[in-house]
Amino acid sequence: MITESRVSSWTRALGRRRKALYVSSPIGLGHAQRDVAIADELRKLHPDLEIDWLAQHPVTAVLETHGERIHPMSAELASESAHIAAESSGHDLNAFQAIRRMDEILLANFMVFHDVVAEGHYDLVVGDEAWDIDYYLHENPELKRTAFAWMTDFVGWLPMPAGGEREAFVTADYNAEMIEHVERFPRIRDRAIFVGEPDDIVPDDFGPGLPSIRDWTERHFAFSGYITGFDPAPLIEGRDDLRRELGFRSDERVVLVTVGGSGVGEALLRRVIASYPDAARRVNGLRMIAIAGPRIDPSSLGAPPGVEVRAFVPSLYRHLAACDLAVVQGGLTTTMELAAARRPFLYFPLGNHFEQNRHVRHRLKRYGAGRYMDYATSTPEVIAEAIASELDRPIDYRPVETDGAARAAALVAQVI
Amino acid sequence: MTAARLSGPSAEPSAEDAGSREQHRARYPDATGHVERDGVRVFYEVYGSGEPTVLLLPTWSIIHSRLWKLQIPDLARRSRVLTFDPRGNGRSDRPVDADAYAETEYAADALAIMDATETDRAVLVSLSMGAQRALVLASEYPERVAGAVFIGPALPLRRTIPGREASKDFAARLDSDAGWAKYNSHYWRRDYRGFLEFFFGECFSEAHSTKPTDDAVAWGLETDAESLILTQLAPGLRDRDDVLARCARVRCPVLVIHGAEDRIRSVADGEEVARATGGKFVRLEGAGHIPNVRDPVQVNLAIRDFLASIGGRA
Repeated sequence: MITESRVSSWTRALGRRRKALYVSSPIGLGHAQRDVAIADELRKLHPDLEIDWLAQHPVTAVLETHGERIHPMSAELASESAHIAAESSGHDLNAFQAIRRMDEILLANFMVFHDVVAEGHYDLVVGDEAWDIDYYLHENPELKRTAFAWMTDFVGWLPMPAGGEREAFVTADYNAEMIEHVERFPRIRDRAIFVGEPDDIVPDDFGPGLPSIRDWTERHFAFSGYITGFDPAPLIEGRDDLRRELGFRSDERVVLVTVGGSGVGEALLRRVIASYPDAARRVNGLRMIAIAGPRIDPSSLGAPPGVEVRAFVPSLYRHLAACDLAVVQGGLTTTMELAAARRPFLYFPLGNHFEQNRHVRHRLKRYGAGRYMDYATSTPEVIAEAIASELDRPIDYRPVETDGAARAAALVAQVI
Repeated sequence: MTAARLSGPSAEPSAEDAGSREQHRARYPDATGHVERDGVRVFYEVYGSGEPTVLLLPTWSIIHSRLWKLQIPDLARRSRVLTFDPRGNGRSDRPVDADAYAETEYAADALAIMDATETDRAVLVSLSMGAQRALVLASEYPERVAGAVFIGPALPLRRTIPGREASKDFAARLDSDAGWAKYNSHYWRRDYRGFLEFFFGECFSEAHSTKPTDDAVAWGLETDAESLILTQLAPGLRDRDDVLARCARVRCPVLVIHGAEDRIRSVADGEEVARATGGKFVRLEGAGHIPNVRDPVQVNLAIRDFLASIGGRA
């Protein structure tokens, strides 16, 4: 008898189906949604393609609803979202330092990845802001075993003023290392995709004596346009039906307040809720719905009459598409969903979050979407005034691309 | 005698820990405890399960067991991993007499922790000064040591790194604080942080090493100049003959990993330890003194191969 542990198998190359390992960043909610859309488009281009996902919470939740196949070794990944939550407080998250302080988790997860690709006979790895894979493959180029497609919606670590000279030095050093990596080992990224257009790239340099981020990115990346992961057209056209379905009356002005799934949003929620009485005096029929998310106890927020606090709503993007105005943090996914659905919104980037304050803000400015709000100076009165004035603002946003997932998939499909 | 206390699986860190002191870990210990010897309490952690047990030894008390943060989560996927804070730093006591920092004391702490955790034998992994206690254990307690990995071993083999000559005048009052003249008790008392920044700048000589350097300086600030001065006055391995005699008595498999650009200890020292123990030598070109932090993938894979070669799970 042959015991199972002594059996191994190997499939002849031409007998193999195409096989990809997809790694989607768990930081923020948007990567999973766009990656599922890209995966669908990839399968159209390569119908024999099998995709495994090396993924962790909250990406796994999205993948499960789409019936995607999660690699069992995913269970061995260390949690990035728990780390990010631990790095946040109030309305503040120094995103650069948080990633930098995640070195231990990134290395641990790279080692898991290394074992997965050592055994999986994958043709392709797609890494959507999979920092661990990109960094450590450049550090250990001989460990590359598959084609590698790298994807990101921002390029360049940027310092925040509170970080002073030291943060400016360290971000530049991180950028310099990345540039050296990519230029010395162009063979690591078979395809690098910027999720956006060249005009979405910030006008800054990588640091003193380093290239312009835009020039360099245009030389080293292909561009997919923005990827929403859903088609906004039916939401825009069917908005009246959607409002009826969600119970929004035609004589109501519905303000939706949402802060994503983390506990970081509580400070903003409280402040926006506090603006309600003032805002309601300025706007007839104002109704405020605040979505607390899984980590904040709705009853703890002390909402006044007229404000409904809900723990959760299914298909948040449909609520966002139906509302009259949204109040949100400065994350790319939610703000761009609102831009795509052509709704007015106020956005409050987290303090010291370079991506929300600089990269995302630059992009939203290009689309002409949303009103930037500074949390530090926004009293409830300031917020009430902004709600009242933005509710009636005409929507002249630049249209958001709808072919981003297909463009990204076409770029990736060329390397398998 | 050893008094061990095993607390249960340690939970997520408190908000205070996460926010200010220590960054969120990839993996938390399954058990923690202290051993106490002669009134000195030493803190240890236990992770995972699987043979062989790997004991990640402390290095010089200038830093503590977070030194191994890039090894623990990976090795603990296959093996049981023990680590402890050296007397003088981390969550271990800071004794106030030099003899308490003798090499034999660190070695005895390791044995006490193995006893407390019911560990008959372990593979020892050491960095730099950790080589001294590893060599004490491997030469005097061969039945407890299943293998030894030495990374950038710091042993009295009489080779001096060019430029380090000034560090021999540890207790003298010097005219200068330039370079290795900072390796001096008076300077440490004057500007301890300045010494840490200089020393770890030398340790992490590779470009783009701001994070490892910041980490190490922060760990260094968890102890103080007086404790570190005591470690310099404490008896270590005697001399070159002592080291080579102990190497000759090592019976277990040995792996030595050494950065060719190490500015703290010559790569030739590492080669000599490999030769003298009949061990395997891995030379990391371009690497500095702490490759387990700066080239963690290579070091982890080398340790994994070594463990597999002596019967661990591949």
